[in-house]
Amino acid sequence: MIAIAHELLEAAVRRMPEDALTPARKAALAHFATSGFPTVSDEDWKYTNLRHAVELSNTWLGNDIVASPESNLTAAAEEAVKAITESIDAYWIVVANGIATVDTMPGANDLRSNGVSITKLSQNGDVAAIIANDPMTSFNAALLQDGLRVRVQPSANPSKPLAFLFVDEATQGDLSQARLIIDVDAGATIDIIEAHVSVGSDPQFANTVIQLRVADGARVGFVRIQERADSHMQVGKLIADLRRDAYFDYASFDFGGSLIRNDVAVNIMEPGASVNLNGLYLASGKQHIDNHTRIDHRVGPSQSREEYRGILGGRSRCVFNGKAIVHKGADGTDAEQSNHNLLLSETAEIDTKPELEIYAEDVKCAHGATVGQLDNSALFYLRSRGLDRDAAVQLLTRAFAARILAAAPIAETHAYIAQKTDQRLDALIHGDSQ
Amino acid sequence: MSTERNDIESLVNRRYEHGFVTDIESDSLPPGLDEDIVRAISAKKDEPEFMLEWRLKAYRHWLTMQEPAWAHVHYPKIDFQKISYFSAPISDEDRPKSLDDVDPKLLETYEKLGIPLHERAKLAGVAVDAVFDSVSVATTFKDKLFEAGVIFCPFSEAVTNHPDLIRKYLGSVVPYRDNFYATLNSAVFSDGSFVYVPKGVRCPMELSTYFRINAANTGQFERTLIIADEGSYVSYLEGCTAPMRDENQLHAAVVELVALKDAQIKYSTVQNWYPGDENGIGGIYNFVTKRGDCRGDNSKISWTQVETGSAITWKYPSCILRGENSVGEFYSVAVVNNMQQADTGTKMIHIGRNTRSTIVAKGISAGRAQSAYRGLVRIMPQAKDARNYTRCDSLLIGKDCGAHTFPYMEVKNPTAIIEHEATTSKISEDQLFYCRQRGISEEDAVNMIVNGFCKDVFKQLPMEFAVEAQNLLNVSLEGAVG
Repeated sequence: MIAIAHELLEAAVRRMPEDALTPARKAALAHFATSGFPTVSDEDWKYTNLRHAVELSNTWLGNDIVASPESNLTAAAEEAVKAITESIDAYWIVVANGIATVDTMPGANDLRSNGVSITKLSQNGDVAAIIANDPMTSFNAALLQDGLRVRVQPSANPSKPLAFLFVDEATQGDLSQARLIIDVDAGATIDIIEAHVSVGSDPQFANTVIQLRVADGARVGFVRIQERADSHMQVGKLIADLRRDAYFDYASFDFGGSLIRNDVAVNIMEPGASVNLNGLYLASGKQHIDNHTRIDHRVGPSQSREEYRGILGGRSRCVFNGKAIVHKGADGTDAEQSNHNLLLSETAEIDTKPELEIYAEDVKCAHGATVGQLDNSALFYLRSRGLDRDAAVQLLTRAFAARILAAAPIAETHAYIAQKTDQRLDALIHGDSQ
Repeated sequence: MSTERNDIESLVNRRYEHGFVTDIESDSLPPGLDEDIVRAISAKKDEPEFMLEWRLKAYRHWLTMQEPAWAHVHYPKIDFQKISYFSAPISDEDRPKSLDDVDPKLLETYEKLGIPLHERAKLAGVAVDAVFDSVSVATTFKDKLFEAGVIFCPFSEAVTNHPDLIRKYLGSVVPYRDNFYATLNSAVFSDGSFVYVPKGVRCPMELSTYFRINAANTGQFERTLIIADEGSYVSYLEGCTAPMRDENQLHAAVVELVALKDAQIKYSTVQNWYPGDENGIGGIYNFVTKRGDCRGDNSKISWTQVETGSAITWKYPSCILRGENSVGEFYSVAVVNNMQQADTGTKMIHIGRNTRSTIVAKGISAGRAQSAYRGLVRIMPQAKDARNYTRCDSLLIGKDCGAHTFPYMEVKNPTAIIEHEATTSKISEDQLFYCRQRGISEEDAVNMIVNGFCKDVFKQLPMEFAVEAQNLLNVSLEGAVG
């Protein structure tokens, strides 16, 4: 097992500029030192091997480039940025190679007048808010150049979604650490988009952390769109804390990347909170997409609904691990979870594990998981009506995915997601029949 | 339906019915474990050289292993040097040859447990190979089985009389390196049952073994090996109760099943080891490795278990579906009350084409107990057209208990169809109200609902076991409602 070269990491952290984040980096480094990168012998990483990410990190750490981050994008990257920002109408904030440039952001004034303020984490000074309690979040914090602090004030209700675009380039930075801390105050309503694109054929590894706090009665719609380049890896974690009567409606779409691991951890801290998690992952080639979700029902009554669907072709491998934990005393919890998978090729693999841990009595919890292939009689039916095989497969897979598309919040994203889904399915089906 | 036991307090405080110690002189080895102990066990049993070598290999490998910590159970660290690894009721030479020769005190023990051995055997047509502590003391119905060509005998006898079969099959399903407890068992196992059903034979009766743990501080390390040759059928029943005791007792058994072409094995367990008292003092640690190998085409292995006892249960009866069209089944009811902890489930490894598996697991948690279902369904790339259906439901009774589900599904073939469903809930107020409204006491109503919840599993049990299981369930949950 290859481990991270700790002395290189330490040196890299030392080289980083002395600023308000320095104590947080040092604390995170100390925490990371106790664990290192997770390995396949860690239960939570049983099916996802970060070996390549560790190798890349070691090379990168040895290259002594940490101190000079580059946030200017090449033309290719600018193109990728345009492709998505021009398709989805939102207040776009670009996080380039882990570095956000808020100063030049268009629509900043508009947002401010709508009750949304965005500052740099280093200027804000509230470093105590940085969570670094597991290997990947502490690795992120240890190497964090800077992050963004977003505050959505009470009664804020901006007319367009707030969108973050994480764009990485293999030639600019092989490794990037990005972090957002978003506070949604009581009664506010906001839509948030988390989008990932990347360019370049060299390997790249991005590690992102988003901390979201949803206060009493606030409503958050959240859509994640991940379309990283074929050779790029990403580990992401979203931590959402929900207060009384908070509502969190989340949908995640995985289209790209070579190795993707996305963790969603939702904490229901006060009664009345409600959460929806939906996910769609479309994998082909040698893609590895791992979705881990964890919902902690710390109090009741509260409700969670979760549905993830995957379509796998080529030699891809996908992982789903959904955990619903009902803590002692969280009576009145209603939790449902399901995971459905379609395998389109002989060599694809799915590892799914829907878990329930229940320590309360008055609960209603259920989960289900299925794995299968396309129904032959449905295929036959369509073909008997004149559709060719590809069209029939396209229709059936699209119908399989449609549930998640329909469940996604933020209407502004729907057309874009539908188009990407069709493109990916097309590639997946044709790639498979070759 | 009626009950005279209304006083819930008295039910809660009810002691374990089967808790008593039979005062029989034990021939035990001193506590501790080293190569000499392993050699001593082997020597005591007059084993051939190959057995001793196998035990020593296991022991040496065990020294390199770590105690597993992944299960959802908590218990104080076990001191393996404080356990005595061998205890026989009386020395080997004086072993009774038939039921009449058996120590009357021992027969009394069975009497107290409500299992009149001879009567039951006659009435139910069941051959009983009773294991008292670690050595088999009585074997019945041998002749009838002999006529059919079925070999059903204590493991140690099989080692002497059928060394070829032992050599061929021992460790072929659960290798000595398999896991911490199975490896320990391989080194020190004292006795158990051996069954061989020859080609084309349908075993004329259901085979049954009762395991008991008796002498103080002796871990019981049973080893059972069942081989169903081509086209044969055997149904094997295993049931347990154990005397009350304050020290925790370790039980690390290994069960290996081999089903060859067209053969079927049905293995049923009712497990009621001493669960410890209401504060979690005492009770058995039940760390068992059970695995069946559907080695031949069209073979079938079916596990049915009713687990109501033990302080800690760590048990995953599994099927390796190697043969084409082979079938694996797992039906389980696990009941935990007071401070009991159970982490149980199954593994279905689909290797052959067109293999099918069914998993039905019902967990009931009451008091401050924790129960977990942990299951793995793995479809290997070559397992074309494999099919699995899994259903696991948990019922919660009380505010302080827990029920957990950890299902793993690993699918490497697109033609597989896998379904998994799980639910967790408490007993529905509506159902309770309906029963109460019709004059059924709350306790009876709960028993009815719980029995209904477990019906899918109970109907898989042989008749006499099904009755015993229902009674056990009611007894186990006494005091849990209120």
